[in-house]
Amino acid sequence: MQGIILFALLVSTYLMVIAKRMPALIRSFRYQSLLLFLVTLLAAFNEKQVELYLISGMIILVKVFLIPYFLNFTAKKIKLDENLGLFVNSQLSLLLALIFTYCSWVLSVNLGFGQLSLLSVAVSVAFSVILIGAFLMISRMKAFTQVVGILVMENGIFLLASSISGGMPFFAEIAIFFDVFISVVIMGIFVFRINKLFTHIDVNKLSRLKG
Amino acid sequence: MLYFLPQKLFLFDSLSLFFLVVILIVSLPSLVYSFGYLKGDYSAAKIFLAQVLLLAFVLFMALIVSVRNCLIFLVFWEIMSLVSYFLVIFDTKHARSIQAGLIYIVMTHIGTAFIIAAFMILHNHAHSFDFFAIKNACLAMPSQTKNIVFLLFLIGFGTKAGIVPLHIWLPYAHPQAPSHISSIMSGVMIKTAIYGIIRFVMFILGVNSSWWGVLILILAVITCLVGIIYALMERDIKRLLAYSSVENIGIILLGVGLSMFFISLNLPYLAVFSLIAGLYHLVNHAIFKGLLFLCAGSVYKATGTRDIEKLGGLIKKMPQTSAYFLLGAMAISALPPLNGFVSEWLTLQAFFLGAFNVIGGSKLFLGICAAMLALTSGLAAACFVKAFGVTFLAKPKSHYAESAKEVALSMRIGMLILAVLIVIFGLAAALIIKLLAKVSGSALSIDISNMSFCLNNFTLFPQMAKNVYLSTPLLALWLIILGITGFAIYRIFGRGKLTIYKTWDCGYYKLDSRNEYTATAFSKPFRIAFSFFLLPYRKTQKIRESFYHIKSFTYETRTTKIFKKYIYDPVLAMVLKAAMFMRRIQPGSIHLYLGYIFITLLLLLIFMRQF
Amino acid sequence: MMIILQIILLIITAPLLSGLITKIKNNLRMRKGQSVLQPYYNLAKLFFKDEVISETASWIFRVTPFVVLSSTLVVGILIPVFIFTSPVHQMGDFLVIVFIFALGRFFLALSALDTGSSFGGMGASREMFISSLVEPALCMVIFAVSLQFGSTDISAFSSMHVISVSSVVAALALFLITIAETSRIPVDNQETHLELTMVHEAMVLEYSGRSLALIEMASYIKQMILFFLIAQLIFPIGLPVGNFAQILPWVLWYLIRIGIIAVLVALVEVSVAKMRLFRVADFLGFAFVLGVVATVCAILGV
Repeated sequence: MQGIILFALLVSTYLMVIAKRMPALIRSFRYQSLLLFLVTLLAAFNEKQVELYLISGMIILVKVFLIPYFLNFTAKKIKLDENLGLFVNSQLSLLLALIFTYCSWVLSVNLGFGQLSLLSVAVSVAFSVILIGAFLMISRMKAFTQVVGILVMENGIFLLASSISGGMPFFAEIAIFFDVFISVVIMGIFVFRINKLFTHIDVNKLSRLKG
Repeated sequence: MLYFLPQKLFLFDSLSLFFLVVILIVSLPSLVYSFGYLKGDYSAAKIFLAQVLLLAFVLFMALIVSVRNCLIFLVFWEIMSLVSYFLVIFDTKHARSIQAGLIYIVMTHIGTAFIIAAFMILHNHAHSFDFFAIKNACLAMPSQTKNIVFLLFLIGFGTKAGIVPLHIWLPYAHPQAPSHISSIMSGVMIKTAIYGIIRFVMFILGVNSSWWGVLILILAVITCLVGIIYALMERDIKRLLAYSSVENIGIILLGVGLSMFFISLNLPYLAVFSLIAGLYHLVNHAIFKGLLFLCAGSVYKATGTRDIEKLGGLIKKMPQTSAYFLLGAMAISALPPLNGFVSEWLTLQAFFLGAFNVIGGSKLFLGICAAMLALTSGLAAACFVKAFGVTFLAKPKSHYAESAKEVALSMRIGMLILAVLIVIFGLAAALIIKLLAKVSGSALSIDISNMSFCLNNFTLFPQMAKNVYLSTPLLALWLIILGITGFAIYRIFGRGKLTIYKTWDCGYYKLDSRNEYTATAFSKPFRIAFSFFLLPYRKTQKIRESFYHIKSFTYETRTTKIFKKYIYDPVLAMVLKAAMFMRRIQPGSIHLYLGYIFITLLLLLIFMRQF
Repeated sequence: MMIILQIILLIITAPLLSGLITKIKNNLRMRKGQSVLQPYYNLAKLFFKDEVISETASWIFRVTPFVVLSSTLVVGILIPVFIFTSPVHQMGDFLVIVFIFALGRFFLALSALDTGSSFGGMGASREMFISSLVEPALCMVIFAVSLQFGSTDISAFSSMHVISVSSVVAALALFLITIAETSRIPVDNQETHLELTMVHEAMVLEYSGRSLALIEMASYIKQMILFFLIAQLIFPIGLPVGNFAQILPWVLWYLIRIGIIAVLVALVEVSVAKMRLFRVADFLGFAFVLGVVATVCAILGV
């Protein structure tokens, strides 16, 4: 059961990679977070720990509802052209994402999690989500995708931590959630201001600001 | 009163107490002075900030000389450098302040880097940061390591002290800071570097090799000469005083270097004696340089300019300030019976006594160093005749000087305290030497109970010298008695007629201040004599109306700053070139930066096994 | 007391020495010249002249004659010129002399700048230049001489009675230094008042009347002291021994040797031309090198 959910999580990540417009990206992020919520819920059933229930509740609240709502709100406010500028076109990005997945699979096997156990699958999915999140930040022009890329990386890290060690300490989790939420708020504000000043959020054009 | 401080952290042996006394002696008058100096030029908030920074500065210097842990020492050293940086750039109206601050902070951090490296090596060897633990471990340290640590300490503390060629920040930073800060920086802060050398090299590391002392002696002689020759060429009064500080650090290091030399030759009495000479000059320089900077500040405040070529005649307008400056100038030129004379005599005597007790070639080396000390003493006298004469005497050379007025009471009180201390430290030389003997003994870990330096409370009498005495009170007494005798001879035939008339003008009745000798002209013989070092060049320009009639003539002369031109500028150019080359990895695109992070992450993940 | 006796003797005999040198110079120039007692007449004349002080001058100008005279007299009582131990033995040693002369010179240079005339500034500048170059040479000479006794004590110096190569070379160096310090040709010309050629005279140009008398007296005494030092180095003389019959020739020999030095100085003054100021650096550098040679000889024990 968990394997299927993990697989679906990976697919949702691929959906993000091939997204060409803003709403698609946010929608796939939502799916990813939902699947993450399901994984955590399953783990909570198996482990029978109250904290995991709380955490999964927070996931669904913050990552499935609040953050995408906030991102959509900002997107509407700045009335941008919904096209995400792509440095690397979507087919090539998908190919790269597959290569990253393979690399993370090799990595998780080399780390000694076994050949085909659930743990190794979870670790490899987590690593690939992290790498794909970083890749998203690099290969898209708009400032928005940097925000989303960080959120994706955070998802991946959470998955990694919870699969290897049963989750991070409770307060660490709460702190991280809070950090992430606030970072999103701040980044939203910044994107708004950048748009107001430069009338675009194409980070590529901001390269004149260098040391 | 200091017992409540944690014993593990603080150290109050004689050396630390001595430096604390030096810090307080200079800081308190400067604090009193600052009230009058800062008023009227800055807003109340800025004055408050200045006083807070001043107190922090003094506090951290006091903490530096009283801790016993290397790490804490470094922390306080850094904080002191930062606080003094803020004080140097305090006058943010002038762009030169910012430039001066930049040069200062870069040089002091280079020095701190060397000190950190030395501490790391010591810690590696001793596995502890405590001074005494390191001192024990250093007894067993191989001599190669000791040499390297010595060199690192020398360069590190030398940058802060102003040893040539690391002195380059002094003439930028000291003139730009507010005058009371300049007096504390020049009087005390550069002495904390000497404290570092004495504490870390002599007390902790322990001197075994004679080439250490010889190296410091050679560097000290070069520092003396370079400092005073540049001072002679200056026309900015505070920069002149800054270069003179470089010279005096050289004299202090002569005493310290001699002490190291004698320790390595196993002559304990002479080692203590030379260190006494060095420490005495340290406290003397703190006092009279502090006084001179405060006077320079008064002149700047009263006239608005630091350029001595525009001043003159201030002795009539600012009589008290000029009297204090004269006292400071006499002290720094080592004129009896003031304190500078005693410390220079002691240093020369240390050279001579050492020469009588070493063999062969070292005698000649010590003799030549002593002669170089005498040379710098003569040049210093010339420099301060110029500084005092052109600034205060003769007629005012511009409207700056004509509108000068005596300064506020708090400034005068600050200067008075230091002036009184100059006289006291000169006349009570024997008493002070008894105290300094204890300090030197504890710094060198030598037992001084069998050594005597004074005959009684008035006369110095080095034990190892045959029949040599010095008694400053007696000297002062005879000078005064014979002066009165001269006055008696003067008045022996009645009062005599005195006429006040114009200066002799060769029959040309319209002499004014433009006919006076300028400072540049005063130092021309020195410029020519030392031209191999100063590399002066001049430019003349004549504007003619006809072949026979020259309408105007411009004459410009400049000296080349060889350290800046041949050492620092090329190094700086190389560093900037390398930086411009490295800049290419930063084109400004966020995606590229993120890509760097991503690739690093990937590489780490792939090669994780190796680590 | 001894001190007062020494001071009075110094004051009385110093102008005589200067008069002697001038007489010898004039005779060498095939002139009859002034009488030997002329400096006394000059001083007396100056004492009864009025004094004119510049309006630009300050208290430094008034105080300087006393400081200069007092510093020179202090050196006078420090060095046992006429007796064998310094009467104020506990005041200082050989090195202190250098600094005390510096005191007088400092104030003289300041008073020269005080009047605001170009002559004074020029004199002060040149004088400080020459004196700062004299200092290392003088220090080397003192070093070489002290190496022979192992001490910088003046009494040891004045009771020496050995001539060695080192002391002769040191005496030669001291001779060159004395020419510089007493403002004689080839360093400076005492007989002229042209601005190109005067150093010491330029500094005291503004002085007149009694102050000038005091300053002149001080320079005579300084000359006397320096000649005594040279004489002691070249013709060392021990303590007088024996009865009265042997004391008289001793006293004569004591005075004659200073006379010999005076003759040498006069010869040098007459035969050499005054040097350009920037060549004085080479001249004094040569004195320094002679001092180094004297030190090496002393180290070698020669």
